[in-house]
Amino acid sequence: MIHVSELTKYYGDYAAIQNVSFDVPAGKVVGFLGPNGAGKTTTMRILAGFLTATSGQAVIDGYDVFWEPLEVRRRIGYMPENCPLYGEMRVIEYLRFRAGIKGLHGRVQRQRIDYVLQRCWLADVRRQLVGTLSKGYRQRVGLADALLADPSVLILDEPTAGLDPSQIRASRELVRELGQQHTILLSTHILPEVEMTCDSVIIIHRGQVVASSSLQELGKQAGEQTTLLVDFDGVVDPAPVRTLPGVVHLEREKIVNGTRLRIATEAGAELPPQLCSLAMARGWKLRELRPHQQTLEEFFLRIVGQEEPVAEVAGKKR
Amino acid sequence: MLVAVQANEILTLSALGVLLLIGLLVGLYLLVGLFKARSLLRREFSAYFLSPIAYVVLVLFLVVTGHLFYLTLEQLTASGPKGVEFPMQLMLGDERFWLVFLFIPPLLTMRLFAEERSTGTLEMLMTAPLRDWQVVASKYVACLGFYVLLWLPTLAYLPVLLDLQRPIMQPAWTPLSLCMVGGMAAVFVAFLLALLPFGSAGRIVGLVLLLAGVVGSGIGAWGHYHVDTEHVLEIQAGIDPMPVLTSYLGLFLAGAMFLALGLLVSSLVRSQMVAALVSLVLSLVFIVAGFWRPDMDTSSPAYQVLYFFSVPLHFSRDFSRGLVDTRHLVLYGSVAVFCLFMTVRSLESRRWR
Repeated sequence: MIHVSELTKYYGDYAAIQNVSFDVPAGKVVGFLGPNGAGKTTTMRILAGFLTATSGQAVIDGYDVFWEPLEVRRRIGYMPENCPLYGEMRVIEYLRFRAGIKGLHGRVQRQRIDYVLQRCWLADVRRQLVGTLSKGYRQRVGLADALLADPSVLILDEPTAGLDPSQIRASRELVRELGQQHTILLSTHILPEVEMTCDSVIIIHRGQVVASSSLQELGKQAGEQTTLLVDFDGVVDPAPVRTLPGVVHLEREKIVNGTRLRIATEAGAELPPQLCSLAMARGWKLRELRPHQQTLEEFFLRIVGQEEPVAEVAGKKR
Repeated sequence: MLVAVQANEILTLSALGVLLLIGLLVGLYLLVGLFKARSLLRREFSAYFLSPIAYVVLVLFLVVTGHLFYLTLEQLTASGPKGVEFPMQLMLGDERFWLVFLFIPPLLTMRLFAEERSTGTLEMLMTAPLRDWQVVASKYVACLGFYVLLWLPTLAYLPVLLDLQRPIMQPAWTPLSLCMVGGMAAVFVAFLLALLPFGSAGRIVGLVLLLAGVVGSGIGAWGHYHVDTEHVLEIQAGIDPMPVLTSYLGLFLAGAMFLALGLLVSSLVRSQMVAALVSLVLSLVFIVAGFWRPDMDTSSPAYQVLYFFSVPLHFSRDFSRGLVDTRHLVLYGSVAVFCLFMTVRSLESRRWR
């Protein structure tokens, strides 16, 4: 549905994104993940037709973003970051205005507005001025606007930024539901969100795609090693633990009144029984022993943290 | 020789015809585009009334024109020989009027793009399925509409400025006069239909009635006042009405120029304040050129050049005296079209910068 190849965008001399390529298959919810300033917003703006790329190609639903911008814009619902709205209009007025711009008039317009008002739980604030709405409601108005023309593709730039936890949960559920009818590309820097809502993930870092796969595959990649966290009372010398079979890497950390060993083991190594007997033999007071699941977050941090972060360059100019 | 001249004339006429046709087609294209973006046009126009600026400008403007009207009225009613030949000249040739007028277009245009850029709503607008020129045209027509609205109350001064006599009405019913009155009635009914909620069917009927009414009353009125000897309604004007018509034409076109200038500036900057100031300075060029040196030798080449730019001089010397100098119209029209074109380009450049 969305096909991006070799997309590059320069702001002056600064490359916001470089040779970004990815595909979003129809009917999937894809998370676009990256730290701030990685180029998420730039990529989405190019897809939405707000910016043009310096080079490269982006095709949405068979239409080139550069050559057939109107056809593309008719087929996407775009919700920009921070969701800019006209504060002096009422919700219903704003939606009517946006529907008119998108070429919906008359009965179709009324039907679609009723639908999005109900879908985004806006019915009770329909007469309220947009400027007086809370952040959560503003996001919903933005989403309602994106849904108006019933687009096949939704591009949502940080749809949950600045919401409170219950709103975040509600909007995640909404995104999941919408994912059944629309192809969704959503950007975020909150990792659990991707794990909960997306089918696959594209990780972008410093303007380049560093990983792009489905969540299961990522989980496999991340789970090559298992880590054990073992807490003891008092000071413990880790040397004997190192000699146990299957130990790949070992770190000692100080915790309150004790020591924590962070032991990376080969997949399939049965370490806990041996550790217990070792502790008994040495007289260590074992406080806790638990396997530590490697989450997407650690994987993400590992990828992103490979290089020293350069000074934050303001890639968002306008 | 005769044949050659005729051939030449035919060539000129056909060239003019082709130009006219092209102009019509372009105009039609623009109108269709504007119609498709009517929802944006409506929003931009109503946005004026959602901010206090519109009301401030309206009141300020009415105070100034009212004061000028009062001065003109004093002249017109002075005892002895009447004190003014062209009342419009007294109203529009005044420097005080132009110093106030100077502030109006920047106030109307400053928010059009600058506000959208600073709040980020431009992104929503530019990712909607509209072409850039449709966005620019809607905003421009909306602010031009507000400018026209600004001038509408001054029509109330016209009966006095034209020294209109009591209208004479008589039942001179001929087919042509009936056609005229019927057309007017149709237009009235069409407007009434537009106000009532009749849905799309009612709107189509209203549109047809409106068109038929305009055409009918136009043809009827022309025929009635040119062919028939007795007229249904006759109003005698004590003062030539043509200077009023040319003045309003000039005001519309000059306003179109200043508004286009302001629109361009607004599309270039992010802050409304800066937009207003810069377009004020640019408009100053056109307005102060005439006041710059009142003692200047009017036959010097420098004056001729200044005269070309000086909008107040155009009004005090030409428009308010019933003269339509095409040089002025070309200046207003070309600056307006150029600025609008540059606005579209400036908007477009935002995409690749």
